[in-house]
Amino acid sequence: MARLQFYDLNVHSIPDGKNTPPEMAALAKHFGYAGIAITNHSNTESKPSEFEANGFEVFGGVEIVSKNASKLHGLIGKYRKNVDVLVVHGGDENINRAAVENKNVDILAHPMTPKDSGLNHVLARSACENNVAIEFNLDAIFKGRGGRRVHALSYFRKNVEIARKFDVPMIITSNAASRFDLRAPREMMALAGLFGMDKNEAIAAISTIPAGIIARNRPRSGFIREGVEVIDADDMDCDMNSEPDNELKEAGGSN
Amino acid sequence: MKILPPTLRDKKRYLAFELICEHDVTREELIREMFSCVGSLIGDVGSSKCGIRVLTFEDSKGIIRCAHTKTEQTRAAVATITHIGGKRAVVHILGISGTVAGATEKYLEGTEVFTF
Repeated sequence: MARLQFYDLNVHSIPDGKNTPPEMAALAKHFGYAGIAITNHSNTESKPSEFEANGFEVFGGVEIVSKNASKLHGLIGKYRKNVDVLVVHGGDENINRAAVENKNVDILAHPMTPKDSGLNHVLARSACENNVAIEFNLDAIFKGRGGRRVHALSYFRKNVEIARKFDVPMIITSNAASRFDLRAPREMMALAGLFGMDKNEAIAAISTIPAGIIARNRPRSGFIREGVEVIDADDMDCDMNSEPDNELKEAGGSN
Repeated sequence: MKILPPTLRDKKRYLAFELICEHDVTREELIREMFSCVGSLIGDVGSSKCGIRVLTFEDSKGIIRCAHTKTEQTRAAVATITHIGGKRAVVHILGISGTVAGATEKYLEGTEVFTF
């Protein structure tokens, strides 16, 4: 089996969090992640930061905060072109609904409202149609104590159940505000096991689903449209006879 | 008392870990924090089933012992450590082995603890 690539797509840096993107990246790399997305809240003054260092990628992202559903759609349109990962700050019934109904949203973060888990069959169906991933922000479990954590666990458990039934993509993130809020991928999977996510779901939620989000927002060079891609013309000439299959597979795999 | 025959002994797993913290932490502080976190996550009954115990802890690296069927729960419980002695900290599990020697050789010897 190929080595899995792990991603944490909801990490906050200065001014949202306490550390700079390179500080967060250094620890995430040490923990074995292949990349993180810096998703600061849209209502703070921060530009999406994006860089690559020694095989570790930091993706530009944003977590859109809005109290009003129609304003949210406007903000999504504004940010979509500039970021690789577009997260909506959930937690309000109307915002949750608006987020899962918008195809341009990648992740609905912490949908739990003060009253309930924030996800129902209607929202789950929309999320599945529009391919919006539901986030399980594990900081609620490792940072929370007592009643708060109990609620988080039971809401997460309910959301896993609903997401499983409606085939909604699930994603686990640290929602870190400091580098000490990061956890290694295996620890994240173990924490996800606490609320009933099985092993394969947890692996997908931290590797293949985030990788899919990145791939669809960051087309490889030569990408023309879905399914059509220019493969390096020079390579084609010399490798034509040797291994044409590999080239085709690569082109197909990126969709 | 006579030692139990091997078939009756509890099977164990040994988790090699590193501690990433702003300041140096003593073994006592770590143990206190670990038991409080494990206790609050899985309760006294769960903790007793997990059988978590800190064996060695030196230079920010160490070994935790737990029951062999409870490694995932132990991982999760240890991941809930956020502060030790009032300072921010993270415990990172480096690997799991069936013997102390195995865990030390494979995961602890020669590994550098992450520094800022």
